[in-house]
Amino acid sequence: MLWQQLVNGLTLGAIYTLLALSFSIVMGILGILNLAIAELFMIGGYFGFTLIAANFPLPVAVLGGMAGAAIAAMVIERIGYQPLRGTPVVTPMLSTLGFSIILQNVATNFWGSDPLQLPDEYLGRQYTLGPVNIGQMQLIVVGATIVLVTLIAYTVQRTTVGRALRAVAENREVSRLLGVSADRLTLFAFALSGALAGVAGVLIALHYGAITPYLGVEIGLKAVAVMVIGGTTNIWGALLAGPLIGVVEVLTVAYGGSQVRDFVVYGFMILILLLRPQGLLGGARSDQGQRV
Amino acid sequence: MSTYYASLFAEAGILLLGALSVYIILATGQLSLGNAAFMAIGAYLSSYLTVELGMPLTPALTVSAIAAGIIGVIVGFPALRLKGIYLAMATLGFGEMMRSFFINFPAMGGSGGFHGMAHISVGYIWAWAGGILVVLILVERSRVWLEMQAVHDDETAAGLVGLNTVAIKVGAFGIGAAVAAISGGLFAHHHVYIEPANFGFERSIDFVLATILGGSTLGLGSLIGAILLVFLPEFLRPIADWRLAAFGTLLILVLLVRRQGIVDRTLLRGLTFRKAAS
Amino acid sequence: MVNSNGKKSMLKVILNPSRLLGTLAVISLSAGSALAQAPEIALGAVVPSSGPFAEWGRSNSVTLKMLEKQTNDAGGINGAKLKITILDDGAKPAQAASSLRKLAGDEKVLAVAGPLTSSAAEVTFPVANEMKVVATSQASSKPGVAKLNRPWAFRNTIDEGMLAKTTVPYFKKAFNIKSVGIIFDAKDATAATVGKAIMPAALKANEIAIVNESDPLSFNTGDLDVSAQVTKLKSLNPDGVVVSADYSQAITVLREMKRQGLIKPVVGATQLISSAILKAAPEIPIIAPATFFATMKGEAAEKFVTNLQPLLRKESGLPAEIEPSMYDANIYEIVSMYIDAIKKSGVTGKPADVEADRAKIRDHLAKLEGFQGLGGPIGFNDDGDAIKAFYVLQGQNGAWDTKVRGCSSAPNHAGC
Repeated sequence: MLWQQLVNGLTLGAIYTLLALSFSIVMGILGILNLAIAELFMIGGYFGFTLIAANFPLPVAVLGGMAGAAIAAMVIERIGYQPLRGTPVVTPMLSTLGFSIILQNVATNFWGSDPLQLPDEYLGRQYTLGPVNIGQMQLIVVGATIVLVTLIAYTVQRTTVGRALRAVAENREVSRLLGVSADRLTLFAFALSGALAGVAGVLIALHYGAITPYLGVEIGLKAVAVMVIGGTTNIWGALLAGPLIGVVEVLTVAYGGSQVRDFVVYGFMILILLLRPQGLLGGARSDQGQRV
Repeated sequence: MSTYYASLFAEAGILLLGALSVYIILATGQLSLGNAAFMAIGAYLSSYLTVELGMPLTPALTVSAIAAGIIGVIVGFPALRLKGIYLAMATLGFGEMMRSFFINFPAMGGSGGFHGMAHISVGYIWAWAGGILVVLILVERSRVWLEMQAVHDDETAAGLVGLNTVAIKVGAFGIGAAVAAISGGLFAHHHVYIEPANFGFERSIDFVLATILGGSTLGLGSLIGAILLVFLPEFLRPIADWRLAAFGTLLILVLLVRRQGIVDRTLLRGLTFRKAAS
Repeated sequence: MVNSNGKKSMLKVILNPSRLLGTLAVISLSAGSALAQAPEIALGAVVPSSGPFAEWGRSNSVTLKMLEKQTNDAGGINGAKLKITILDDGAKPAQAASSLRKLAGDEKVLAVAGPLTSSAAEVTFPVANEMKVVATSQASSKPGVAKLNRPWAFRNTIDEGMLAKTTVPYFKKAFNIKSVGIIFDAKDATAATVGKAIMPAALKANEIAIVNESDPLSFNTGDLDVSAQVTKLKSLNPDGVVVSADYSQAITVLREMKRQGLIKPVVGATQLISSAILKAAPEIPIIAPATFFATMKGEAAEKFVTNLQPLLRKESGLPAEIEPSMYDANIYEIVSMYIDAIKKSGVTGKPADVEADRAKIRDHLAKLEGFQGLGGPIGFNDDGDAIKAFYVLQGQNGAWDTKVRGCSSAPNHAGC
């Protein structure tokens, strides 16, 4: 059972990683907690679900969910973040909350509040390795996570646009002097974060085979915890913290603590914040947050 | 006033106290996304005192406020290590932990909820809410508030000029927690039934929303924000299925038009001048 | 009357210009009848048309509008027109309570149908007592909620404790169950009560072992992933599984059971009954009690479904393949009982008599026996819960099937 539970934990962890990364792109660069990410995730899931139900292949569904969520994220940036630049961090956080309320209502009116379900398990083949069963979709989720994290890390650390992003994160004014368009980069960061949330939404909706407008609410808060634990300034942090929290959760349940699971996870997050505010992998000190 | 409007005002009074609890902590530059936890402590403790021990409500609220205040101070110390959005996330975690705790606290009903409280009038709620607001507005004119502002604006400088920044920040957490607990106690005795789901992240965010929408530089702002948050969804009833989306849109619009909140000192001064002129 | 009708119609104009002409006609019509001083009977309803239970609230609204039209087309109530004011509480307890105040205090309704959830009922029923107006929930089944709030609170539902006494023995017999594992939604007050107290008691009474008795398995409303809980259940190898959760949460559990190959019969409370849950894992049999389901036999039920289903499917904001739910049936019965009370107990509907009228409805309900509901006769017991027929259903391969007919009879009250 333990091995099977580890597989469960790693799958859940992969999902946490994707969402945490989505939060941390905006958080690490702009210092903004974008509360609508949970709903971008949900909207991405609905787009992907609709495409799969219409018999499109998986890559099309993933691209569809990604594009849908990325566009929504760009709208949020233009209306909800850009005009509010320079305000305390709590103000744009609340405007993203407004978008999350709108997105939930829109999803309820278009797709209903009842769970939408796929008639059959999507890519339901199971592989047996000794005591462990792994589903095809589980492998895709984990594989896609590793690929995406690598891709994002490469983009942020090695490419010109990534260097520009980091420059903006360090100091907006200096980046302007260097001739980097901070406005366009902010838009790019939101789009990237939205695209990631969208992919996560599609993969998860297909893995679990059911989706509701409230899909992102609980998991969104957890992903914030995962982001903090991994460290907001290091992309690889999420790749470590996601599976870590996934496994901690699963083992808590396995050893009789299903009722205290959330207590354990959030307690762990607070401990990390207090003892190692830069997160497990965060390099520089990041606790000197902006004024609120 | 019809009983319907009376109940909305009761809701607004309870939300006002929640918003003030955020406002007081925010005044020292600390953002709390977990004040629903202090509200839960106040709700559960005061209900226990009135229902199980038969204590009258006013002393029960006082005791709950003091207890929550102490817990607030205890939370406030580690909070010193964190700033900005990181503190916000830690308080969010604290809120979720407390909710999880009450779900697994069979002595007070766990997730099944707790009842037996006696219903209170809207007048009683506003005696507390109004009283605390007035005291706060008086404090806003005092030296203590200036010191809190100094910590908010530049903590290092405030420390250099000899202010006890630790006492100010931790004290704000304690007082904020106490006010949130009173909000919780009133909530419990207004609805005569409580369950852990009442005190989740959504509630904490409502408090912050009321403070910021109304204007986070004045106690009066929380009053405006609380009334707006309670009455707006009611007035949006005619649009039925799109009610929440409209609420979200208006929320964003208000933030865009009045990024400093609906009321601030400039607006207040403008209003008083016009009055004087006429 | 002009006011509220007019307001609603005006909005429709904005949302749907093609209805403009018809709406204008309605406005002038209602203005005309107002001039004629037609007597009117006002009833109210509190349903969750937004938020996580939006689908239930919206289909409840369609049901009530249908009943209102049927009643008025048939000549109204004692010659008076029926008007049902429906308010949305978003499944939020505080909004449910203030909605009841608005209905009873401002709209002067004679009785209220709703609220839907137990959490909302806990907060709203005390207000019903304060305002002295009958409120009857269409879905709350958490034990003792109406009992705490007598005499004005009623529920057209049966206490889960009573239902489990019939459901569990059938479950045991049908699948030769000797042991079960329990998994429940810890955040949902009703589901947690059923999972922690009601089901364990019923299982013990039937000598069924609980494999995880010392280690309750729970999850929270909104959790996507219950793989760890299901793996644990699977390792304990029970003969059957108790899933105590709202059906939309139960779907997550059932799909995970199917994915992990835990194909064991499932038993639960009325919260499981829905069409959606049948699609989750068609090969897993689900046993749950219900007082109504869309494919139910019987003249009244079939007629109800034939009339309502097309209306539901036409409504925007509801899925195209929706079927009438148990809660639609319950709220239809609730308002039908109010109409029955008004007709039989000399309710005048005049503003001056509003307090007396409300008391008459309450007394009529408290004494009610043999009211013809959609699934047989209905009455109320001393706790305010319904005495009505219920059915233990087995859901498998996409359809619900009746297995046992039971009755929530109570001493000194007529049975069903």
